[in-house]
Amino acid sequence: MSTDGNHRPALYRLVIAHYLISAMCFAGLAVMMFFAAGNLTGHYFHPQLLAITHMAALGWASLIIFGAVYQLLPVILETELYSYRTAWLSLILFLCGLILMVYSFWNFEPGLLMQCGSFLLFSGILLFGLVIFLTARKNRDDIHQEFIITAVLWLIATALLGTILVFNFRYAFLQKDHLLFLKLHAHMGLAGWFLMLITGVSSKLIPMFLVSKEQKRGLLSWTYYLINAGLIFFVTDTYFFGLNIRTYFAALIVVSGIVCWLCYIAACFKSRIRRVIDLPMLHTLVAIILLSAGIIVLPVIVFYHLKSDPQAAKYTTLYGSLLLMGWISSLVLGQSFKTLPYIVWAKHYQHLAGKMPIPLPAELFRQKWLKVQFILYVAFVVAFFMGMLLKSNPLINIGLTCFLFVSLLYLANILVIIFHQPPTKT
Amino acid sequence: MTSYTPENIILRRNAVTALRFAMDPELGINIVDMGLIYGLETNEASKSIVVTMSLSSRGCPMGAAISGSAENVLIYGFPDYKVKIDLIWEPAWSYEFISARGRDELS
Repeated sequence: MSTDGNHRPALYRLVIAHYLISAMCFAGLAVMMFFAAGNLTGHYFHPQLLAITHMAALGWASLIIFGAVYQLLPVILETELYSYRTAWLSLILFLCGLILMVYSFWNFEPGLLMQCGSFLLFSGILLFGLVIFLTARKNRDDIHQEFIITAVLWLIATALLGTILVFNFRYAFLQKDHLLFLKLHAHMGLAGWFLMLITGVSSKLIPMFLVSKEQKRGLLSWTYYLINAGLIFFVTDTYFFGLNIRTYFAALIVVSGIVCWLCYIAACFKSRIRRVIDLPMLHTLVAIILLSAGIIVLPVIVFYHLKSDPQAAKYTTLYGSLLLMGWISSLVLGQSFKTLPYIVWAKHYQHLAGKMPIPLPAELFRQKWLKVQFILYVAFVVAFFMGMLLKSNPLINIGLTCFLFVSLLYLANILVIIFHQPPTKT
Repeated sequence: MTSYTPENIILRRNAVTALRFAMDPELGINIVDMGLIYGLETNEASKSIVVTMSLSSRGCPMGAAISGSAENVLIYGFPDYKVKIDLIWEPAWSYEFISARGRDELS
């Protein structure tokens, strides 16, 4: 039997690079938010908010997901990653594109720099998709694989529309309102890419981490079909008719899919044999609460939009923040400490397991720092979102200060894991 | 197939004890109490130990670490023996396989 293990040096370098750059982007994001605090309660179509959104969605969340998928997919499918060179090229193009895009959004220069940035980003994402599709070509009829592949398809579609929108800034060739396409772009990214991928991957990992007896697989199929059906309906209906009364129905279909996933996760929690909930799983619980809060805001946005009330823009910013800084960030802040320590542990200790006393993966990072990170993150959530609702700048500033410290603690703990050295023999 | 000679019975008992040092790195409990060991054939005459085991799920991210750990403890504990690990998926591992001690440790 092959016991060469999960540790493949080429894969290790690739995955670690994604985790590290993502953590650095998170720190950059926190600094950007700190300096843009005054604009966070305004309209979402603001240069600094566009820069922040792309930094959060691409630099912070997507990069770490790329790394996690590169690590997880070959294990699920029992195969090798299709091409490491292509994956590295994808990362380089993606990063160059991201820097150009964020810079040109922040200063709002919708010229050549932004166009080059969007093109590079799209190329990077396309190459990522290529690596994933070719790795998964040996179909194992696995529902988690379906979630990942579909999510990547939505990501490519999101990036393509984003690139078109960048060129539309300068040449205005689209026949309809730019903001209409922005809504489609945002929801293809949020529901198609993030939601599809997170529901798929978490449904594999959460029951494993909790040692859950009950896994209602049927609910996962419902999740998959309802989210996709709702999203396709939303995209086509909104493209032709704009936001309208049917948008509630589209939202209802997607939310039904999310409810199926929540029922699946709740069954896993209820039937868990491992009773203790550790800090990474607590972060996951907070993420689920914030996703639910975002879902509650969704019909409010449609309601105000249909009344042409400017409150719609305020609630849209709140909705986006709940999903990006809330749901996705909390999930990543927790799950990073479930996945990365194991990846590093496999490099240093897998071959020693059973031969000598070795630490567990959970002992590779500073638990106290993670505890402080969690407390500060909860403080951020309370202060920041209350501040947004009440339009209170002092509360927002308190929240953003906590967020800044969260990002620094997270980065420091990630560095502790990556640069972990096994104790030398005396 | 294990023959029930006194030597084989002792070897088998020692192999099980050794396997208790192989841990699931995420859960921190040993693979015997996890119920991952399906079969153990020991042969003192031919100096061989064959473990038939499974994982909690196919495509388990910890899979290589767990099966590698089982192999390591046996090679380390029985350097003069041939050790073989056979990974099988039928019957699929179930939570009912966890021993009472394993459940206590997890809770």
